[in-house]
Amino acid sequence: MIDLSVEIAGVRLANPVLPASGTWEFSEQSEAGTPAASLGAVINKTIFRDPRPGNPPPRLWETPGGMLNAIGIPSEGIDKFLSHKLPQLSSLGPPVIASIAGGDVEEFCELAMRVSDSGGADLLELDLSCPNLGHGALWAEDEAVLAEVLKAVRGNSDLPVIAKLSPNVTDIARMAQVAEQAGAAALALVNTYKGMAIDVRTARPALGNVSGGLSGPAIRPLAVYAVWKVYEAVSIPLIGMGGIAGWQDAAEHLLAGASAVAVGMYNFVNPGAMKEVLAGLTDYLTAGGFASVREIIGLAHRSS
Amino acid sequence: MAETMLHTNCTLISSAAGPEGYLDLLIRQPEICRTSRPGQFVMLRGWPGSDPVLPRPFDIVDTYPDQEAFRLIVKIEGRGTELLSRLNPGAELQVTGPLGQPLEDFACSSLALLVRGAGAAAVVLLAREAMRRGVEVITYLSARTADRLVALSYLKAVSATLEVATDDGSAGYHGSALDLLDRRLAKKPPERIYSCGARRFARRVQELDREGRVEGFVFLEGLMACGMGNCHGCAVKKDGEPGYFLVCRDGPVFRAAQVVIS
Repeated sequence: MIDLSVEIAGVRLANPVLPASGTWEFSEQSEAGTPAASLGAVINKTIFRDPRPGNPPPRLWETPGGMLNAIGIPSEGIDKFLSHKLPQLSSLGPPVIASIAGGDVEEFCELAMRVSDSGGADLLELDLSCPNLGHGALWAEDEAVLAEVLKAVRGNSDLPVIAKLSPNVTDIARMAQVAEQAGAAALALVNTYKGMAIDVRTARPALGNVSGGLSGPAIRPLAVYAVWKVYEAVSIPLIGMGGIAGWQDAAEHLLAGASAVAVGMYNFVNPGAMKEVLAGLTDYLTAGGFASVREIIGLAHRSS
Repeated sequence: MAETMLHTNCTLISSAAGPEGYLDLLIRQPEICRTSRPGQFVMLRGWPGSDPVLPRPFDIVDTYPDQEAFRLIVKIEGRGTELLSRLNPGAELQVTGPLGQPLEDFACSSLALLVRGAGAAAVVLLAREAMRRGVEVITYLSARTADRLVALSYLKAVSATLEVATDDGSAGYHGSALDLLDRRLAKKPPERIYSCGARRFARRVQELDREGRVEGFVFLEGLMACGMGNCHGCAVKKDGEPGYFLVCRDGPVFRAAQVVIS
């Protein structure tokens, strides 16, 4: 019997496979693919303070081995999240990660405080790839604002904080160190890569928002490299994501240094993807003679 | 919502050339055959690997309990559908479905179907169920040319009246199916109209719905990755209030007056 449990910021997950924020919701259909109770953790679509409609369509564009999205994070707002969605997530069994975002430090702090006070979440994930209204840059793409928001949230919440990092930076390992020093208890990486496509039939940008985030198997080598570099730069645990379609991809992320892995876009392609990833990982560990999944975290870094 | 949704491998029974540019696929999957309702669709992939990566949405044309199968009509228009066109009987497909809100309200005496191109494939189950419940079904089927008329024989079997319009006059009325509908509206308007497959049909049905002349419904499509409300790709603007519906989760059939038809 293999021990599949891992620990993220003091929270024990029964297994290392979870959904990436924004790609999974608890529903009858999702249950038919991968039962929520079998996940390492559950997570909501990122919530803002106020309801948001999301971006005008087209919101998606398929690319080779991937997909550009400019969904614009439609949000029901924190009130409805706390009264409906969070209690539902809490009832499912696995630890709950609450994903929050804001346009300014005050919004992040308010959400962090309200989620903490509700008692419904085990971990807080900061979606730092939305624009920072005060400074113009994205939170995760500027060292000073990244540190500022993390320190402020830490002062307003007792929950361990996961900083979700953007790969659209010169040196993600440097941003990871900034986040660690500012109090992040874990890091999630990577968010989507910025990109765009042009619809040649209309000779216009394919997405309503012009640019979008690239995800899917196309970004997997980029994401694995980011996890590899960040693992060497920090000592807090990593949740690896980017292009995970099957168990081999999840194993790559773990071997590169992730303590847990999130399936994102492939939840759309195959609602059973997370179930299949966990089953395949288990077989891989068995075949390799491992007693615990923790033995392969960062294993690819060994010198001999 | 769907009674049950499955994500499963299933087998292609047959792949026939449909009308010009279309494929007619018969797929064996007992549960999807048993549970599919009018208005519903499936997400389908039929190739290995991750390029193309996304499954494609297709309306469920009809179900065949004796073969535990369902039919799809696929317009060949991109890489995914091109790959589907090369499949032979016995090929393995990945299907998620049935998806979308089933149509369950048949409380009317007559309904018209205003359909064009691939859109004709979406209304066969609807017509069958309406006819079974004693609703008069009047179908206006349109295409560019006679050899591009989709689902003609299937729709004939489930319509009290079927009229064809082609752009070039190679079959039926030479001109727009909207002319045929207008004639009917002047004589004996149907209580309801469902449109699928042409934006100008949807706009006309919306006008009629807003004027209160008929109950208008539109089948909409959208770029979607999952088909089950998780990706939020297939947004369609609500009319008269802020925000969006999702084609997959809230539709794909909408009351015409409630959506913005772009």
